[in-house]
Amino acid sequence: MKSFGYLMLFTLISTVSVLADDQYTAEELLKSKIEAVMSVLANKDLEQQAKKKEVSEIVTPIFDFSLMAKLTLGKKHWPDIPEEKKKKFTDLFVKLLKDFYLDKMNQYTDEKIIFKSSVKVNNKVHIPTEVISKDTKFSMLYKFYKSKNGWKIYDIEVEGVSLIVTYRSQFDHVLRKGTIDDLLIKLENREITDSTLATDPKQSI
Amino acid sequence: MIGRPLILFYVSVLVMLFFSGCAHRTVKDQTGPVELKNVSSVSPIQKSSSPEKVSPELGEKDDVFDEFEEEYKGKSIQVADPLAPWNRLMFHVNDKLYFWFLKPLARGYTFIFPGVIRTGVKNFFRNIFTPIRFTNSLLQGRSTAAGHEFASFIFNSTWGVLGFGEPAQKKLKIPLSDEDFGQTFGAYGIGNGFYIVWPVIGPSTLRDSVGLVGDRFLNPISYVDPISLAVGIWFYDRLNETSFRIGEYEAIKEAAIEPYEAIRDGYIQFRKAKVAE
Repeated sequence: MKSFGYLMLFTLISTVSVLADDQYTAEELLKSKIEAVMSVLANKDLEQQAKKKEVSEIVTPIFDFSLMAKLTLGKKHWPDIPEEKKKKFTDLFVKLLKDFYLDKMNQYTDEKIIFKSSVKVNNKVHIPTEVISKDTKFSMLYKFYKSKNGWKIYDIEVEGVSLIVTYRSQFDHVLRKGTIDDLLIKLENREITDSTLATDPKQSI
Repeated sequence: MIGRPLILFYVSVLVMLFFSGCAHRTVKDQTGPVELKNVSSVSPIQKSSSPEKVSPELGEKDDVFDEFEEEYKGKSIQVADPLAPWNRLMFHVNDKLYFWFLKPLARGYTFIFPGVIRTGVKNFFRNIFTPIRFTNSLLQGRSTAAGHEFASFIFNSTWGVLGFGEPAQKKLKIPLSDEDFGQTFGAYGIGNGFYIVWPVIGPSTLRDSVGLVGDRFLNPISYVDPISLAVGIWFYDRLNETSFRIGEYEAIKEAAIEPYEAIRDGYIQFRKAKVAE
């Protein structure tokens, strides 16, 4: 009976803190993730490829990639796409995001990140940050929502430019003229040009 | 006044094109044979997580989808692009100009001049552009920002030795705003008009182009006497600025599957955020 009481108390406390700290948790989550990423990037003993893998492992759980993929196509296109192509599209889109953003992340080593006060709308929390390096400064907004599995990022805005909106209009452009197959081919071909760029030694300067 | 009906004409043509495009789509929308290779290159992390994660969520999260759709419906910014053929051409011209000319030059410049000098030059130009930011802060009724600009100009021109240093920002933490006439017009509720890509200058809109003319009057470089020298100085500023931004354009292009659309819509979003600031 006593242990049951403790259990009740514990449940009560944890629910209360979850309710009260919604916003706080998303912020703390983001902060801890960014710190973890920074320490990986600062680690000089790690190879580029190993760094990428570690960063990906840290960051992946806080993104809702499948929702992001859906949003880039929107209600206008998503429902018309056959199931197996939805899956293929999601995989290719996630690969694009990972390939590209993980590559870019390696360039950020001496940056300082400032957190500004977050904005809460319904079950969403938008966390504005500012990335400051030696010569440049830009704003980055992380958009979280509360999913069944905790806080997840569904969009990122860099200097007011939303990742979802940008891909949405590009995908819409392709789908307006062609089919989902054209889009899938475009997404695949992009990878090929990408890998040639990655091996280009000039790219590392 | 002559321009307005013309714009309306362009817009209506665009609307018509849009609808005819939709009609074509339904005709073309048959699932043909797919020529896709195996996605064996997908990373192992993603492979293990996607089967259990992606599929169940697809079915049950539709109410979530609706809610987010709401958010993006209002936000998807469409800009009229009646000059698309010209714009696309200029996009390619600027692209080549960057890769064949500006980028190699900026690289060489970066190689010769250390960061300290380039930063100094950057600060110098930013300081002499104060009239643009000061006036437009005032025009938008932002007296604090205008005051900051003024104070910063005084400090940086003297203490910062002609603006090469920026003690007003480094020591006194005076923030600078990034205002221009395009943003002032935006703050007054004037829309973008349509999208236009200028050679060398790059992406702009009708509103922002008119704004650029206004900015020119407040730009001290415009008053440098032989015009060739003014153009030279303008270009040098551009080169110096580029030396800090090598890789940015490449990154945007690389992440895009339709670079022209990505940059067009990116520019519109970027300016919209600037106006809202």
